Amino acid sequence: MNMIEKLAPVFAAAFAVIYIVSVELNWALFTYHPKIREWGWLVEPSRNGPTMYWYGWLVTSALGAVAVSMLTLPVLKSRPPQYWLGWIVPLIVMVSVFYLFRGFFLR
Amino acid sequence: MATFLLILHGLLAVALLGGITHQAVAVVWPSRNKVGFANAYRAVSSRVYVNANIALFMVVAFLGGVIYPTYRVWIRTYLENARLFSAVGSFEIKEQFIAIGLGLLPLYWLVWRRPEPAGQSAKIAVTLMLCFIVWFSFIVGHVLNNIRGFFGL
Repeated sequence: MNMIEKLAPVFAAAFAVIYIVSVELNWALFTYHPKIREWGWLVEPSRNGPTMYWYGWLVTSALGAVAVSMLTLPVLKSRPPQYWLGWIVPLIVMVSVFYLFRGFFLR
Repeated sequence: MATFLLILHGLLAVALLGGITHQAVAVVWPSRNKVGFANAYRAVSSRVYVNANIALFMVVAFLGGVIYPTYRVWIRTYLENARLFSAVGSFEIKEQFIAIGLGLLPLYWLVWRRPEPAGQSAKIAVTLMLCFIVWFSFIVGHVLNNIRGFFGL
């Protein structure tokens, strides 16, 4: 429980950061082609119709956040849980989402 | 099938909206007496909502993920042809918020399970953030579902 307590804030922060970077740089672990119902590894161009990367971004973020959490564990062992990290970083990412997607509202 | 899943997605979202809003109000503005509707609404044991909210968030997000391809192929194309870019953008933002919300769930579970003074501000913040995400997503989803009526298309 003590380990989870220390890892959960780091996981939340890392997930949000890796997710938004994945969206911006398109680091999808896989691609879905909804019109032909086919999956592909990593980022693929359209085979037929639109492509969907959201599922791939989620998996990239989840795996990345687990890795970051594990890597920071030695540093966190001797420190109290950094709860603030788990909500301030995602909050900043949420605000940045409005900025990054402003183009849709300015056309 | 997509219509059935969309309705189920919407109904479960209503349950989630109720649960997370009730919890957020009770944690931000608690009350000790239960006299009257407003006080009784604020005086609930907010901790009992945690597991239900987590389960509902995950199920609603999963169902949203299942019906998402239908939106991407048919609805988004329609919206772009109708030049309703703000509607498309709102859905894009909803999609990102849901993902961030999924990443917040372990911390949400933790801060409610271990009520320590150090985690009190995190408990309030995470609950309010999830509440905002659910309200934003619900309103965007609802508007998009009824967009032809809203815009007279």
